[in-house]
Amino acid sequence: MPGVQAAAAPLGAEPEPIGLEAGEYGRHSLISSLPVPLWDVDARAASRIFDQLRADGVTDLDDYLNERPDLVDLACEVVTVVGANRGAVELMGAAAPGVLLGPVRYLFAIARDTGRRVMLAHFAGHRNHVEQAKIRTFDGRVRDVLFLVTFPVRGEQLDTTLIMMIDNTAQLDAEARLRQVEADLSHAARLSTLGQMTAAIAHEIKQPLSAILTNAETSLRWLAKPDPNLAKIAQLVQRIADSAQRGADIIRRVQDMAGKRQPRHARLDLNDVIREALNFVRHDCEERSIRMQVDLAADLPSTVGERIQLQQVVVNLLVNSAQALAAMPPDEREIHVATFREGAESVGFAVRDTGPGIPAYDLERIFGGFFSTKEGGMGIGLTICQSIVAAHGGAITVLKAPGGGAEFRVALPSHSIVWAPP
Amino acid sequence: MPSVPLIAIVEDDAALRDALADLIEVLGFAARAFDSSESFLAVHVPGLFNCLITDFNLLGESGVQLRRRLQVLDPSLPVIIMSGQADPLACAWALRDGAAAYLAKPVNAQVLLQRLNSALGRASRA
Repeated sequence: MPGVQAAAAPLGAEPEPIGLEAGEYGRHSLISSLPVPLWDVDARAASRIFDQLRADGVTDLDDYLNERPDLVDLACEVVTVVGANRGAVELMGAAAPGVLLGPVRYLFAIARDTGRRVMLAHFAGHRNHVEQAKIRTFDGRVRDVLFLVTFPVRGEQLDTTLIMMIDNTAQLDAEARLRQVEADLSHAARLSTLGQMTAAIAHEIKQPLSAILTNAETSLRWLAKPDPNLAKIAQLVQRIADSAQRGADIIRRVQDMAGKRQPRHARLDLNDVIREALNFVRHDCEERSIRMQVDLAADLPSTVGERIQLQQVVVNLLVNSAQALAAMPPDEREIHVATFREGAESVGFAVRDTGPGIPAYDLERIFGGFFSTKEGGMGIGLTICQSIVAAHGGAITVLKAPGGGAEFRVALPSHSIVWAPP
Repeated sequence: MPSVPLIAIVEDDAALRDALADLIEVLGFAARAFDSSESFLAVHVPGLFNCLITDFNLLGESGVQLRRRLQVLDPSLPVIIMSGQADPLACAWALRDGAAAYLAKPVNAQVLLQRLNSALGRASRA
């Protein structure tokens, strides 16, 4: 067809677009110029294999592939690329366009599981399959791509399966770096909070250490007597062990808070998170004559999350409340912590104080970065809280507490909601 | 035969409270321990105890405030104050206030024994 010939004329020094099955006039030029890399694939051989499997009674290809993983390799051999556009040639860094033709195996060199999932989608009769994958180019680079496959259905040209790829390496890179920065910032905030608590932590550790020393000295004095009370000594030594364990627990808690670690999500009981967070601030609150009222709901559904990060949020809110209460007379300093269920799908906790509250004009700004009314305050605590809560699929809100004071409420999805961490 | 001096201990940390009670006993005294100033005051009558050992920071009432109340209720009762904070200023105030001794935690048994003997000796002379 003369029209097709004209459209196939090469343009300057660009790689020669490979001839695609030109079903319609002008389609060839259109597809070759598509800004998205595109492969024209003939998957009929795979279709025939699947028909045979169905005839043999196979209904679950996933199961079948567990027994016969070599079938994936076979499919990658018999399914062939019959055309590719300019974008595909460029993405693959091919020296010559012809290198892209032939078995599709090279597309799944790194992402073998992708190849398997494409087969499953094909077998199941899906129209499209999309997933994130990795591609090795012909010049040795690895790219992250969004891998899109569109299958033909009966009535269409069954020899044309389309594969497209969108290179999103740069975006994924940027997202990974952003997550790292957020983790670093979160870590810095935890260290800052811990630094403020140094005196309280030192005091807390001193208690079990004092008990250990005293019990040891008492034991030695008993042993020095002509008639040592061995039963008493045994009791004292047991208490030494118990106190040492208590000290170790305190240290572990501090190390957890200080540690820079990859977040690990697990099923959590929010009540436990609150209790552990309270351990951090208990001494400080006693020093400041702050009365702590704790109402933990029974039968609270569990949530899914990172224990240390959620602890960080609770500690941050408690520290903020404690600092706000410095302005109040000693007998009016109260912090109220509660956990609750919210509907069928959420659990939450609230930290309320009897402090001066947050002025209405500040309510909107407090979650923005670098807002602080404290002298020397960095003002990133609430921002990080918000980012941690959002990463857990939850929300944090601030309210005016009845009777003045501020109330921070955090709602989190309960574990029954299927939620996959990023 | 002189009776064994009865030492009252006020300390809110349970492990430390038990440890001190056992130490006081192996040192040759009798001990009775309380978890707060309130529970101590509920039991206290003048002359019942020969010495009081109390933590500086207590739930409800600071050790120094307790000391002041006792000055009215039982002025001859010697009071030894223990503190987890290394605070020389608090120490000076406590001693000026009439405390028999101010000891830093962790408490050294030998030092405690010396202070106890001194406090009990002073009381028996008073």
